Amino acid sequence: MTPALAQPATDEEVDLGERLELGSPWVTIVWNDPVNLMSYVTYVFQSYFGFSKVEAQRLMLLVHNEGRAVVATGTREEMERHVEAMHEYGLWATLQKADA
Amino acid sequence: MRPFRADRHGGGVHARFEAAEVDVLRRFAADAADRAERAADGAWPGADDPALARLLPDAYPDDPEASAEFRRFTAERIAERKAGNARAVLDALGTTRGESVDVRLDDAQAQAWLRTLTDIRLVLASGLGIEHDGDEGDVHDLESATRRAVYDWLAAVQEFLVLAVSRASRR
Repeated sequence: MTPALAQPATDEEVDLGERLELGSPWVTIVWNDPVNLMSYVTYVFQSYFGFSKVEAQRLMLLVHNEGRAVVATGTREEMERHVEAMHEYGLWATLQKADA
Repeated sequence: MRPFRADRHGGGVHARFEAAEVDVLRRFAADAADRAERAADGAWPGADDPALARLLPDAYPDDPEASAEFRRFTAERIAERKAGNARAVLDALGTTRGESVDVRLDDAQAQAWLRTLTDIRLVLASGLGIEHDGDEGDVHDLESATRRAVYDWLAAVQEFLVLAVSRASRR
């Protein structure tokens, strides 16, 4: 295989855009809902993400008071796995680019 | 009801439900299993089923295409797991009628209960129009009043279960 750099980019702006996208992290966001118990949300954050009880409670209160909280950062694939897991728990979660 | 508590020894939890409570749990767990199985089998009904839309929400809030793609790869799997969880609740309740039931759960079963109680409450909330913190829901007849009461009762069941599971995991 030929490394990409051996082939000069004809459109520098597109090339730069792609590189930024590759380096740009994604985030998993959990949104507030009126149904889930505060204790359950804290429990999910502790048991699934492995947060300490204090950190899990801080994030739960952030969701409760601010309406949403970023609970994980990483690649798009990792965030999709987290969102799938949150949906299994019944939490309302989404993913997006970190800078969006 | 004798609410869920951690077993004195070992990592399980236990509770006792009266006959009428067992009926309620059975009815709604069976509904949850049916709904999840239909979702696992069928096409995505989208806005036609707001309750299902809450069980399997859009993963990308501002990108319908990416959300549809995500759903194509995950919805069946998530729905199958939800159906399995609901069936685990039904299994733990046994088949005896008209009697109270002692429920004993290991950690895997407790996880299925936690998720199913959540799914049932999400569907009830959707039907009652509970959309924001503090919403009382549209209670206008005996049926909706019953659903509202079940919604609150299941919250209590789950609250004790969360506490019991947290304690059991430390033993």
